[in-house]
Formats: sequence, structure tokens, C-alpha cells
Amino acid sequence: MTAPPVAADGLVKHYGERVALDGLSLRVGQGEVVGLLGPNGAGKTTTVKILLGLVAPTAGHAELFGLPVTDPAARRRVGYLPEQFRFPGWMTGAGLLDLHGRLAGLDAAVRTEHAAEVLDLVGLRGRERERIGGYSKGMQQRIGLAQALVGNPDLVILDEPTSALDPIGRRDVRDIVRTLRARGTAVVLNSHLLSEVEMVCDRVAIVDRGRLVRSGRLDELVGGALELRVRLDRIDGRALDLLGGHGEVVASEGTEVLLLADDPAAIADLAAELVGAGYGLLALVPLQRSLEEVFVELVRAGDRDGGAA
Amino acid sequence: MTLREAASRRLLLAVLILSGVFVALLALGFALAQDLFAAEGVDDLERDASAAVLTILGLYVASFLSAFLALFLSAGSVSSEIDSGQLHAVLARPLSRRSWLLQRWLGLAIVVVGYVVLLAGSVLLVARVTTGYQAVRPLAGLGLMALQALTLLTLGVLGSTRLSTLANGAVVFFAFGLAWMSGLIEFIGGVIDNVGMERVGVITSLLLPSDALWRGASAGLASPAFLAAAGAMAADDIGGFPFAGLTLPSPALLTWSLLYVPALLLLAVRTFTRRDL
Repeated sequence: MTAPPVAADGLVKHYGERVALDGLSLRVGQGEVVGLLGPNGAGKTTTVKILLGLVAPTAGHAELFGLPVTDPAARRRVGYLPEQFRFPGWMTGAGLLDLHGRLAGLDAAVRTEHAAEVLDLVGLRGRERERIGGYSKGMQQRIGLAQALVGNPDLVILDEPTSALDPIGRRDVRDIVRTLRARGTAVVLNSHLLSEVEMVCDRVAIVDRGRLVRSGRLDELVGGALELRVRLDRIDGRALDLLGGHGEVVASEGTEVLLLADDPAAIADLAAELVGAGYGLLALVPLQRSLEEVFVELVRAGDRDGGAA
Repeated sequence: MTLREAASRRLLLAVLILSGVFVALLALGFALAQDLFAAEGVDDLERDASAAVLTILGLYVASFLSAFLALFLSAGSVSSEIDSGQLHAVLARPLSRRSWLLQRWLGLAIVVVGYVVLLAGSVLLVARVTTGYQAVRPLAGLGLMALQALTLLTLGVLGSTRLSTLANGAVVFFAFGLAWMSGLIEFIGGVIDNVGMERVGVITSLLLPSDALWRGASAGLASPAFLAAAGAMAADDIGGFPFAGLTLPSPALLTWSLLYVPALLLLAVRTFTRRDL
């Protein structure tokens, strides 16, 4: 088995007194699209910078493709779009791509061909002879993305790639990420935009206060406990007991309750029990939790723990 | 890369145009002086002496301009790349920080040395064409001027690996100003035989040999007439010429200066490879 694109264990980073990372571990498999999700200041960018050898961790170890991140050769198959990327305005788009092609070790002929390809992909074909200083914000972000794709990297790290883009630009970025996935390129996508992560990522790693608080496939994260909206013809103590036997009643209003079911597979049993006990079952609606709810819940839980500590 | 950057930016163009204006003004000054001398029938000795002083002052300005160019180019040579995030993207490629920094330094060094040679060379050429000026050791002089600019450039690059562009520019500018000031203190100390004052100059030139190098360079770029006249003034204890030197640098100073640049560069590589970006 080949070494995974990203393998990081127990990353700790202190900036003076401030703890930016507190034992974060992350693994990204070949061709996997992983979203790093977290509130601002959670440690997403620090994590990415450690992976690229830009920041030295206080403790822990990280490898790209089996090589320690301190070795420049580890970055041979990597493309990166930094978070705050202001481009050299004096350069043309083509010049920037050529520079990165050279840095990636491509031959001159391959570079030209490759530049045309990534320009097509990001939708900047025909504008590459202009100076980047004259580009709009969205175009600058696109050329940044193009720059990260030069050299056909096997791992692309995108730090907030859509921050300067309009809705169409955002959709384009999602399409690009999907194209990369189809090619078998691993992608690490840093974002605080849940919808973005939700739409393109195979796996989501939720980072808060320098720790990985939850990681898993999207359906695993939003699955698990299922919320049910249950409406009966009447609610009384016995009804609540029955409902309580299948989970936690988180809210009730009139004859309607919100139940956090322990086992989604046992919904049918619950329905049978309620009907068997003589209640009129008017509605039993499973509510799919969104990633946003999971995220907010985890971050809030962190806030409470943080406050207690 | 740095060369192309410099060429693509308007900075270098502006510097070249202004330097051209400076050389043209100097040429005009020479021409007017020659006309005046011819009209008034001034003797050759006096004419040579005034041409020599004007040339040395022109070179002095050239040395200042080169120092400032080195300072401006180096102040943000690393820090501005970090601020723009440009460096992060480049260093995410399989490129070590050491080789990036050395290439950056080399590019800037080529620009600065080229500028010194072009500007000081033009001053010498103008002086020669208009007045027949002959420097005693032109190549050694130009080399020392280039070395002066390189020490400032390297100091700036070192500072830029740690400090913000503005802070670094201020620090290097002050260092340059202090070296210049203590060069004058040393000169006055020599005139009034004050050992303490002379020592200030020596210590400062150890810390930053820019002014000492200029004094050495000016000795190489001076004409025999200038050296004779200034030397006679110095011997008479009336001072000599405060802004230029009469002797090429001692082997000790030269060795120190030649080690100074690589030592600073090594230090710059060390700080740069160890910092978080």
C-alpha cells in the first residue's frame, strides 16, 4: 500500500501562550476529498501550514506521501492555494503559472500545455496575457486556484478557496473539486462555509480549539441519532413514557414532540407501541440533521466545556 | 525571477530615469565649469583640482543612491512576500527555504551591483570626457562601492527575514546613518588627534563597514591631483576632505568586509529557515 497523501499525528502548536493546535491528528487517503471545518481561529490554517512545512509544530509529526513535511521533496506532488493570497500584480497570469510550473519541475513545453489546461479548468482562458494587477478579485482567486493545480498534484490544499467569489464562482470551484476527485486527486478543503463542504467533501473533519472534535463521512456525521417529529391526538404521561423509551424528548408543544431517537431502525416499533396503547398517530416525521446542526452542536459543546475548564 | 520582477516593476525604471537625470546634471556642471575656466583663463592645476572635487562629490552622491536602492530593494525582500501570501504558495513547491532566499538575494545583488557599476561608471565617464579625469584605481574603487551596497543589501535581507518591511527599512536606514556619522567622527578625531573619536569610527565600521568601504572606494576612484591636494591639506593639519578617504582599505578591513556579507547571509538563512510563516 502506498503512503497516504496526508498523515498527521498529535500536532501541537503554541504561539507563545496561545494554543493554536492541541493534539490534532488527521489522515487523508488517496483521492479523498476532506473538508476541514471549524470556526475562525480553530486551527485549520495552522494545520495546513504545518502540512506544508511553513510552520514548525511544537509537538507531533506530519508526513505527506510518506515523507516528513520538513523535506521539500514531500511537496513534490502538492498544490496549495493560501488563504490570503494577494498576487504579484506585475506578473501576468501566464507568468505565474509558468513560474509554478518551473518550481514543480516541469519542462518548458509541458508547462505551456499544462498552463492552457488549468486555465481552461478555472475559466481564465484568453486572459492569461494580462497582468494580474488588472484582474478582478474573483479572477485573482481563480488564477490562485490555477496556480495550485499546476503540475497535476496528487494532493491539493485549498484554504478558503471561495472567499472572494460570487455564487457562480463558488459553483465553479465546487465543479473543479469534483473534477479533481474524479481524477483521483486528494483534496483538503479548508472552509468555514458548511454548505460548500457539505456539497463536495467525502469526509469532514470538524476542528475546534485546536482539536479534531469529530471526523467522519458526511452521512455518518449527520446520521447517528435521528430527530423525529411526532404528533399524537393527545399527549399525556404515558405517551411521554413510551416516547422516552426510544430516545430523548427534546421539546414538546401542544400535541407535538421532538424526539431524538436512539435507534433509527426502531421507528416502526415506536409507531406500533403508540398505536397499540390507543394513541392516534397523526404524524411521525424523521428530520435529517444538517451538517450545520452537527457543527453548531459540537462547537457549542466545546464552548461549554471550555467555560467549565 | 527577481530580475524579471525588477524589470516588470516601475521602480527600477524610475530609478534609472532619475539616475540618468543626475548624470546629465553632473555633465552639465562639468561643461559649464570648463567653459567658465576657459573664459577666465584659470590654470591647469586649479582646473584639475576643481574637476576632482566635483567628481568625488558626484561619486559620493552615486554611493548614496546605490545605498538607498539596496535599502529599498531589501527592506521588504522577504517580509512583503510573506505579507502577500505569495511566498507561501512558492514554498509549498518542492523548494527549500535556503535556496529561495539565496536566489532572491542573488537576484537583488545583481541588480544592485549592476546599478553601482552603471551609475559610478557613468560619473567617471562623464568626468573623463569633459575634463580628462583619471581615477587611480577605478576597478578597485568600483568593486569597493559595490561591496558597500552589498553589505547594506544583505543587512536588509537579514532584517527582512524577521522584521516588517517598515521596521526593517528604518533599522537599516539608521544603521547606515550611524555608520556615516561615525565615519565623520573618525575623520574629525583624526584631524584633532582624538584617539577616542577615532575608535568610535573603527568600532562602527566593524558593525557595519558601509562608510569605511566608501572611504576606501573613494581613494580608488580619486585622481592623483585630488589625493595630492587632500593629502597636503591633511598633512598641514587643516583637515583634508571629510567625505572621502585617501587610502584603500587595510587588508583587515577588506577581509572583514568580505566575510561580513556571507556571514550576514548565513544568519539570514538561519533565521528564515527557523521561523513560522
